[in-house]
Amino acid sequence: MDRVKAEIEKLFRAKEQRRVRLAALPYPEKVQAVVQMQRMTAPLLLGRGLPVRIWELEPSGWKKEAT
Amino acid sequence: MERTLQVLNELERNGVLSRYAIGGAMGATFYTEPLLTFDLDVIVLLPQTKAGLLTLTPLYDALRAKGYAEEGECVVIEGVPVQFLPAYNALLEEALREAHEMAYQASSTRVVRVEHLVAICVQTGRAKDRERVRILREQASLDDEYLAAVLRRHQLEGRWKEWIV
Repeated sequence: MDRVKAEIEKLFRAKEQRRVRLAALPYPEKVQAVVQMQRMTAPLLLGRGLPVRIWELEPSGWKKEAT
Repeated sequence: MERTLQVLNELERNGVLSRYAIGGAMGATFYTEPLLTFDLDVIVLLPQTKAGLLTLTPLYDALRAKGYAEEGECVVIEGVPVQFLPAYNALLEEALREAHEMAYQASSTRVVRVEHLVAICVQTGRAKDRERVRILREQASLDDEYLAAVLRRHQLEGRWKEWIV
């Protein structure tokens, strides 16, 4: 049981660290993350009849795709 | 989004807007992890018309003339739905006056101070505002003295105390 608890605590700590890392990103990268979240959630919201629009950002705002 | 900000800057330079600052979820995102939103909330101070009225009509007309269409409560500027909120009370006027200048890529913009974002959430008072305050307190660096003064000035200390219990 203690081992499970330790694992869960480790997971929560990692989640927390990820949020801290995300908060420290440069703003243009955060904007990209917001657009990514819009892409992920828009189908659900549109399915519920909510009129949402995914932002169409100019090419300079896009992060280069990893190759 | 840089082009959207450039359009806002141009509107301010041309006097269509007296001043603007980013608020809402995208304002908060300057200080926290990225928060999901579908519009860019922009607080604006509008020039008074000759009749002394404060109206969004000249702003909407100027945007329409540039080819930007209204969509519900927003105007889509360079692919980003922008919701304009006139500074309709003393707190929003102060937030706009004291907003920080920030760089976005090669452009500049203005973002509401984090303490004002908190105070606006407290004033608005919905469940989602309370959640945003929780995130801002957790992730942003707040100037406690400055925040206390804002809350005091705008009679928001009561709800603030309820929220931080």
